[in-house]
Amino acid sequence: MLEGVKALAKGLGTTFKALTEPRDTIAYPEKRREYSPRFRGKHMLARDEDGHELCVGCGLCEAVCPAQAIRVVAAEAPTEKPVSWTNRYSVDYEVDLIRCIFCGMCEEACPTNAVRLTPFNELAAYNRLDMIADKEELLSPPVRR
Amino acid sequence: MIRLTIDDREITVPEGTMIVDAAAQLGIDVPIYCYHQALGPLGACRICLVQVEKMPKLVTGCTTAVQEGMVVHTRGAAVDKGRKGVLEFLLINHPLDCPVCDKGGECFLQDYTFQYGAPAGRYDEPKIHKLKDAPINDFIIIDQERCVLCQRCVRFMGEYVGEEQLLLEGRGVDTVVATVSHQPMDSQFSGNVIDLCPVGALLSIPYRYKARPWNLEREESVCPHCPVGCTTSVTSREGHVIRVEGRPVAGRNWGWLCDRGRFGYDFGYVEKRLLNALVEGREMSAAESTRTVGRWLDAALTDRGPESVAFLVGGQQTMEEAYQVARFSQEVLPGSRTAMVRTVEGYLPSGLNGSFQDIERADVVVYIGGDPYDAVPVVHLKVRERQRANPGLKVMGVGAYELTRDFHGAKNFTVKPQHQAAFLAYALAQAGTKSQAVEHLASQLGTYVPSLLNPVTPEEIQALGRTLLESEHLVLLWDGKEPEMESVLLALRAAREDATEVLPTFGPSNWRGWERAGIPAHFASLQTIIDDAAQGKISVLFVVGADLLRDYPDREQARRALERVDHVVQVGLFLPEEVQLYHAVVPGAGWSEVYGTYTNMEGRMQVAMATVQPPGQARPLRTYLNSWAHALKKSFVLESEWDPFDDDSGDFVPRESLPELRPVTVPEPSPGTPPGSLRVVGFSLVMEGGMPSEILAPRVPRFPGRISPQDAARLGFSEQGGELQLEGTMGKISVMVAPDRRIPDGILALPYGIHGSPLNQLGEGASVKAVRLEEVSLG
Ligand code: SF4
Ligand code: SF4
Ligand code: FES
Repeated sequence: MLEGVKALAKGLGTTFKALTEPRDTIAYPEKRREYSPRFRGKHMLARDEDGHELCVGCGLCEAVCPAQAIRVVAAEAPTEKPVSWTNRYSVDYEVDLIRCIFCGMCEEACPTNAVRLTPFNELAAYNRLDMIADKEELLSPPVRR
Repeated sequence: MIRLTIDDREITVPEGTMIVDAAAQLGIDVPIYCYHQALGPLGACRICLVQVEKMPKLVTGCTTAVQEGMVVHTRGAAVDKGRKGVLEFLLINHPLDCPVCDKGGECFLQDYTFQYGAPAGRYDEPKIHKLKDAPINDFIIIDQERCVLCQRCVRFMGEYVGEEQLLLEGRGVDTVVATVSHQPMDSQFSGNVIDLCPVGALLSIPYRYKARPWNLEREESVCPHCPVGCTTSVTSREGHVIRVEGRPVAGRNWGWLCDRGRFGYDFGYVEKRLLNALVEGREMSAAESTRTVGRWLDAALTDRGPESVAFLVGGQQTMEEAYQVARFSQEVLPGSRTAMVRTVEGYLPSGLNGSFQDIERADVVVYIGGDPYDAVPVVHLKVRERQRANPGLKVMGVGAYELTRDFHGAKNFTVKPQHQAAFLAYALAQAGTKSQAVEHLASQLGTYVPSLLNPVTPEEIQALGRTLLESEHLVLLWDGKEPEMESVLLALRAAREDATEVLPTFGPSNWRGWERAGIPAHFASLQTIIDDAAQGKISVLFVVGADLLRDYPDREQARRALERVDHVVQVGLFLPEEVQLYHAVVPGAGWSEVYGTYTNMEGRMQVAMATVQPPGQARPLRTYLNSWAHALKKSFVLESEWDPFDDDSGDFVPRESLPELRPVTVPEPSPGTPPGSLRVVGFSLVMEGGMPSEILAPRVPRFPGRISPQDAARLGFSEQGGELQLEGTMGKISVMVAPDRRIPDGILALPYGIHGSPLNQLGEGASVKAVRLEEVSLG
């Protein structure tokens, strides 16, 4: 009996001590953390100063991706409206954010520095298909608040 | 035999073997750009450097033949340094644009640079710029900056194919590969330079930017377009065929393809592809159509019995599919008949069938009826290769026009259409042999004396007969036009001491395979069915894969047949000509969509894998057969795949014993073509009459017909050609013709299966009145 009371007091003691300690959690989403500038979140496809897409659709990101999360379909770039800086571009570029392990290999493999991992990490959806980011989406990267 | 040591391993190889080939036999990979076994050594690129003990410097492994006791090192500090140096030079002016290059991932310049090259270049000066992305014909694009000047492409076209359409232009660093006079390449073999180019300098236009080696699937296949049955590998990405490449088979072929086979793979995706069933003019699902067809079959069985049902197989069906048709006909509808759709009437007994190995040994090659370049293109390359190895090879042509192209010392006997069998029989008889078979043949010739269209002396005819009888390795390529030729060939075989090898150049490409599967191959079987149909004796006619009106030699009779049959059901990839004559057209699956075996002109069976799903409602044939049987409440179980391969003959269909000799028809002395008339001769042309292809469209000849330059001048055509109007019994038809110096006066050569089928409307050998169609002025 006495043993029991002792143990209870000890337990509660720990609990009440923790109440006064500084907190490790924050009140997300009202508050957000600062991340390291090298944090690897959702992908983006970059453009050059003139607004031309940098991606040439070489598919190296696709090849290097250990999770096979990327699909690239290349094509000859349209000539009437220059979207690409060269004559080859990607018509389709998809990243499956469920498969992606955010290792950053794609970023490293990209010869034109087109695919980059942004710090954006708020990845949630009600639907699996919504977790596949297409080219449109990747060209206009979301900004982390 | 020579013994040598390569990388501490001993090997014995025949004299004259190059070091690189000896190393390859040991599984040691020596890098190579310019060398190719079929083209021979050149020593232009220096990447194959190896070290040979007791030799002061590194040597090129591709130009150095092995010697007794040689000790070779293919790796080591000296060798690696040498290769590194070579690569550094090769890369000095290279644009390093791998990310936008289609070769990326399967490029030997990338591979060897990774293996042997320097991590970074030392060359800071501006690079020399050359032509990039420039088409050299409708299928191939050149990037001169990426070229390593190995000259494989130039040598292949010039030395191997014998059509010099590529050359090296300029000097030193400015050297580039270009087409002759900067004109587009029009060789039938142009596509091979894509496979040959070790780097990304020559690339395919239809495959441009379509895929990377890591996101595509490659399956082994066989080209279905002509009877050669070249071995290919089919590349697909995301369920679409996007490329066909040649697949070399060691010791058998180099993997060459003609442009038909390499670029004509898009027939599955053309607009004409049938995606839904069409029953009595109404589109419906394939499943619904099977119930309707089942009802027709049921009615035919109860009213008129199974004898009123017939199956015709044509097109590109696999052997397995033909077998399924044969079994369906025997088991579900016993009493029904099958036949295959043929364009020519000849038949070749399998006992006479030769193989491509026979061409590699040949002393004499005789073309009968047609030019292999048109009908079976890659065989032309095989004969050329033989002439390179054996310059004494005699090539002879017996046909209605000149067949032998530019073979050295070729001899042509230009014989009137339908006289070829009699002519060859005559030549054999003149040779003075004691052979009974030939005497038997000669006795049927009576007083026949051939009159040729080109100047030939009687001695030359006699010499031809003797060559046929006496040459040790004789190969004949026969186009199947004259059925009587079969007897001449049999007699020749009987009279010769050495083997007589005949290669049939006629289609359909898989006919020998269907024959093995149980579909009668003789023209007579087809003819009886068509004639019975025309007399209203057939109630349900299934046409599988063929376009009857286009392919049957007598278009009028085929139309009558289709008109009199109660229900014509077509299973195929495309709508047939005059689709209103068919009661049901159901979409079938074809090459690259179904696994199957094809038999080529050698009688060799080769397996083609399925790579993609059939589009739309298209179904494999067995699905239809099963559901038709189901509709008849009959069981039709195809428990297992049929295995066509034979225990004794391996890859080859078993050769059967030879049939009896049959009489040769002696042609009536033909009443000379009246002035202004032309005599029609058919020939097969791979670019015409097969599967539709959008990629190939620019290469399909605009003027498929051929007439002599004199006739062209008489009719008032320019050198380019024009539209000819023909008048015969069938009314008026017009065809596009061009002058060709190989055609004798009075002959009009027309390919099978061209649009509007003038050939089977006119009839083989018909004499037609021809006039030039006045140019219709526009507006
Ligand atoms: S184009 Fe290709 S095959 Fe031709 S010489 Fe250049 S590298 Fe060789
Ligand atoms: S020669 Fe015949 S089999 Fe070979 S690629 Fe050409 S069409 Fe196909
Ligand atoms: S491969 Fe030997 S020199 Fe080119």
